[in-house]
Amino acid sequence: MKTSRRLLTTATLVAATALALAACAAPADTDTDQPEGEQTESLVIDKSFDLVTADPARMFETTGGIVLHAVYDSLLTFADGDATEPLPSVASEWTVNDDATEYTFTIRDGITFSDGTPLTSADVVYSLNRVKNIQGNGSFLMNGLSVSAPDETTVVISSETSNTAVPAIVTSPTLGIVNSALVTENGGTDADDAAETDTAEEFLNATSAGSGPYVLESFDTTTETVLVANPEYWGEAPVYDRVVLRNATAEAQLMDIQSGTADIALDLGSDQIAGLGGDVVVNTSQSPTMFFFFLNANPEVSEITSSPDFREAVRYGIDFDAMLELAGEGAERAYGIVPSSYLGALGADSAVERDVERAQEAVARLGGDVTVELEYASDFSSNGLSMGPFAERIAAQLAEVGITVNLAPGPIATTLESYRAGTEEMGLWLWNPDYPDSADYLAFGPGGIVGERAGWTAGMAPEIEAVMDEVRSEIDPAAREPLYQEFQELSNEEGVIVPLFQPAASVVSTSAVGDVPYDPVFSLDIAAIGR
Amino acid sequence: MALFIAKRLGAALLLVVGTILVAFVLTAVLPGDAATARLGEQAAANPEIVEAMRRQMGLDRPLYEQFFIYLGGLFRGDLGDSVQTTRPVLTDLMLFGPASAELALSATLIAVVVGGGLGIVAALRANTAIDNVLRAFSLGGVSIPIFWFALIATSVFATRLQWFPSSGRLDAGEIPPPRVTGFYTIDSLLAGDLPLFFQAVDHLILPAIVLSAPMVGLLMRFTRASVLDVLGQEYIRAAEAKGLSPRSVVFGHVLRGALVPVITVVGTAFASLLAGTVLVEQIFAWPGIGSYAYRAASTLDLSAIVGVTIFVALIYIFVNLITDILYGIIDPRIRRA
Repeated sequence: MKTSRRLLTTATLVAATALALAACAAPADTDTDQPEGEQTESLVIDKSFDLVTADPARMFETTGGIVLHAVYDSLLTFADGDATEPLPSVASEWTVNDDATEYTFTIRDGITFSDGTPLTSADVVYSLNRVKNIQGNGSFLMNGLSVSAPDETTVVISSETSNTAVPAIVTSPTLGIVNSALVTENGGTDADDAAETDTAEEFLNATSAGSGPYVLESFDTTTETVLVANPEYWGEAPVYDRVVLRNATAEAQLMDIQSGTADIALDLGSDQIAGLGGDVVVNTSQSPTMFFFFLNANPEVSEITSSPDFREAVRYGIDFDAMLELAGEGAERAYGIVPSSYLGALGADSAVERDVERAQEAVARLGGDVTVELEYASDFSSNGLSMGPFAERIAAQLAEVGITVNLAPGPIATTLESYRAGTEEMGLWLWNPDYPDSADYLAFGPGGIVGERAGWTAGMAPEIEAVMDEVRSEIDPAAREPLYQEFQELSNEEGVIVPLFQPAASVVSTSAVGDVPYDPVFSLDIAAIGR
Repeated sequence: MALFIAKRLGAALLLVVGTILVAFVLTAVLPGDAATARLGEQAAANPEIVEAMRRQMGLDRPLYEQFFIYLGGLFRGDLGDSVQTTRPVLTDLMLFGPASAELALSATLIAVVVGGGLGIVAALRANTAIDNVLRAFSLGGVSIPIFWFALIATSVFATRLQWFPSSGRLDAGEIPPPRVTGFYTIDSLLAGDLPLFFQAVDHLILPAIVLSAPMVGLLMRFTRASVLDVLGQEYIRAAEAKGLSPRSVVFGHVLRGALVPVITVVGTAFASLLAGTVLVEQIFAWPGIGSYAYRAASTLDLSAIVGVTIFVALIYIFVNLITDILYGIIDPRIRRA
């Protein structure tokens, strides 16, 4: 027993010494920090991670898009925050046939992957087919599309139906071009059964196989991911040689940007930004994210919300400007479902103004005593905004016109399920564009993905569907614009989807880095920072 | 002694199996579909993709079958793959476990030395001004919410004074030392990289202090009470009467007697630290089990949730086992009871 006691005493002593050592270490360390002049070479970006994979064919998340846009070139791209016109990238030029069913891309000369292999049209075909056949989150981008390579420098994308969105779709980091030989060597395949047989993800999470301005140095979905400049890059070299993306909550980002541990923070809300000192640069613009709610049009889900009188009551019962106030500085009211920076977005002249009397009359026609349920995710926030306050405000505004809204918050995992199953009477959600083109918003029309969830099935609004069909095959942008506008005006009239606002997106950077704009397509264009 | 340890080990093993069953069933009946939760808006609308995902995740089998497959995997050391990291859960636990352990052990160390030490001082100076100040201090430690303390500590010491970094285990982009124990402090020393060691310690200090706060308060109060109790015993008075110096009375007799109840507190407090790490790790962006569990829960990452639950249960059970054994060593009466 005596030995044991001595052991314990020794352990305590060792512990005390270790603690004393640790305490001494603190000031010593601040000294070791001083001579590190090299650190300015690294750019440190704080972001709350939604990072799953570094395999482009499997990636479809915001953080993944930021990383992979820097690592993989796509056929076309967008630059300088301008989401209206696709620009050449791997394809130096392209043409389209008259009915927008065939796009021909010419592959730029002299592009090599980071390992020195030349990039050819075969790599493009392989990459796009792999995305299609892997059946991941981004596979729908290739719906109805097929790709072929008549020669080494030409790629042809054919579409089953007219599709004017193809140039915008091929800018997606999901459709980034991979080194087909290298990926195949490491388990990849673009065959029809790729969903079962492709095993290249592990390799691509460790080694990048692209031709972009950066390559992966290390990839971790939970802590930090490090990029280094690609010496083989064919375009203008990026300013920063090394970029560290760190996973941090908004609170940690605030601390980091104040203490200078991070150069850029991406998830600060307007309240947090307001409290920052003067040595940071804040860039605020509208995010293309769209907050909206819907009134289920399926009478089996709700007799009330499927009634046109109820839609009218809501349309005139909501005070959109009061919602916008809640969304904070920099947010913008949504007059239609298409975001303000896209072709065919509606302007203030299409605004519906609140008319309490008209709304009350509509409620009276419903027979009064109207009670509905509004579901939303309570544990989820976007651009620093959570759904709760908006749901509460909707309830308060509708109470004034005689509609009782019972709030039904739930964890996103459960609310998402009932939203997707189309069983929500009223739902409050948001939509991030899949690709920067107004065509993506046809999902909100009758028979579209979101339309279906709101009980708005194909055939329910022939007039709107006719406009949707027309815009899908119209290849002249000038003619497309009024069609998109008509689509939205008619949708607003029917009132199944109620667009609310586009939140502000802010990028906070230290004065050392300077101005870093928010990119409406890629959130952050890493290679463009400092240019 | 061997029988005593064997009995405790047997009970511990039963507890582990029970925990696995409960964790697995509870997670399986959680609302929400883990397969569609993984999918984006457009993909979730495609039944083929959803079906492929369910198959890939093994969710297309009956629950009992999933459980036996899971148990089978467990025996081979396979806890399934995490959805969020795409790595095997076991790999994740090995990766994030040491980070939490380093943090929790450092906090415990701080608590034992500071809390224990101050508790002894308070007892020896019972009912003086020093004692009153220390008691107020310990009350503060126990009652201040840990997240509040964390926020104050980071904003003062990390943001304003910039004495300590506010997040991570090392500076951004710094390459961790070659992995031996997973403790960056130890591994950096083993690698002979002194600057990296100081950096690791620098990152460790603030979260460890924050995490230790409630335990410091608790230990201080407990040690004080325990020492006071022993001081009132006959054998201490006898020792004093024999003319032993106060120092040898305290270190030779008092502490030995006061140790038993204090060990229990350290044991239970260490286990409850694990709950505290979820908060502290979130605030300090500490890549440990706490952050991992938090993300797993919010993304319905089933294998990761069950993995963490089993891991934490094992630590709880292990700590209790060690406490019991230490008890038996210090106080033979317990062993025979």
